[in-house]
Amino acid sequence: MQARPTPHQAEPGRPSKARPDPTPMRMAVGIGGLATLSGLVTAIFVVPAAAPVTDAATLAPASPVTVTQQRPVVYVQLKPGQTAPPGATVIDAKAPKPITIVTRVAAPAQKTVIVHTTQSGTVVP
Amino acid sequence: MTVAGQATAAGTRHRPATTLIEPLTYSARAMGGRLVVHLAAVRSEEARARHDASTVQVRVGRWADRLSRHLTASELSALNAAAGATVPVGPTLAGAMRAGQAAARTTDGLVDITLLDARLAAEAPEPGVATRALDRAWRLVPGPHGTAVVHRAPGVRFDLDGVAKGWLADRALGLLRWWSGAIVDADGDLAVRCPPGRHWAVAVDDPRDPGAMLAVLHLAAEGGTWPSTHGVATSGTSVHRWEWAGEARHHLIDPRTGLPAVTDVVQATVVAASASEAEGLAKAAVIAGSEDGLALLERAGVRGAVLLTDRGETIASPRTLALLDEPGGR
Repeated sequence: MQARPTPHQAEPGRPSKARPDPTPMRMAVGIGGLATLSGLVTAIFVVPAAAPVTDAATLAPASPVTVTQQRPVVYVQLKPGQTAPPGATVIDAKAPKPITIVTRVAAPAQKTVIVHTTQSGTVVP
Repeated sequence: MTVAGQATAAGTRHRPATTLIEPLTYSARAMGGRLVVHLAAVRSEEARARHDASTVQVRVGRWADRLSRHLTASELSALNAAAGATVPVGPTLAGAMRAGQAAARTTDGLVDITLLDARLAAEAPEPGVATRALDRAWRLVPGPHGTAVVHRAPGVRFDLDGVAKGWLADRALGLLRWWSGAIVDADGDLAVRCPPGRHWAVAVDDPRDPGAMLAVLHLAAEGGTWPSTHGVATSGTSVHRWEWAGEARHHLIDPRTGLPAVTDVVQATVVAASASEAEGLAKAAVIAGSEDGLALLERAGVRGAVLLTDRGETIASPRTLALLDEPGGR
């Protein structure tokens, strides 16, 4: 049995068709693919700037400005001899931890409360 | 020290308006203290509420009798009296001991249910005997139907104390699953279920002044659609406190020393996901002291904490501020 010719093989007895050179199209598709991939990577990895959102910012029309990535530095541990970045607030590691003290909460002035939490053994009046 | 930024951020968190629950309340005695059931019921449900509360109180009383070190016939006393290194225990005692294991993990070991001998030494007239050198290792090997086998180092004896109360409160609340709003008060440790759209007001009593309150915590359903559960527990050194030869002692043993904890915290109240968790963390905060205790509570992610120090300060963790305002009361 005779083998069926492949699409790229000319059948015997027929003149072969003139095909366009595929190279320019392949290059165009390749460049387009690279551009798309680059856009996707940018969209995934570029974090929006941590600027406060205001109504004005929300309503402003989108403009084709360059997006700059901001990474606000929250904590920096300084080694001996190092200085803090300009504008940084330096705290003392030995200082008391930042807790909130509420002295004499004004709650007792309100109405009778039925449920109490107490140390065990406390007689609830 | 007040950190205004934190106070503002925590204190102004939006909470939907809810109405205060005025419950039907049923009191009984158990565990050497009070066992109170509060149900968010209307008058027409009173008969069912009384029946359910009574059922829970009887069952909790029965469980508590198995877990008490003060009753010679209890399962806990039998475990402590047994000579063997391996002792089988029933599901109730096994469940409470598992709660003790969980509390030890949550509190970096500050809650330890093997300190019975240190506790008894603290109650004795002679100076307490430090037990830190004693090997207190133990573990539970699960058995069928919730039972377990206790494997322990020679001489280890157990005191469930507050761990049992928190665990019993949680278990009792489970028995009241048909009530969307319920609180089980196991001698001051609370297991709380909040119905959507309503809230409980829980007073943190001031130990210095009977009838006075340090704060009122408003607990509501977190999601807004389904009931939420909370645990609230208070621990401290000012009630179980005594003196021998001018030396002040109390019942909270520091496992690092085997002696009553040296601490600046007189009382700690914690709001957590369960009464068992809250009880362990409140006790740990007292033992650790205010600075390390608050750091521990923050790491544990508690929903709220109110500490009273021996300097007379009332200290609240930042998240607590959201609980101090009545929902919708602004």
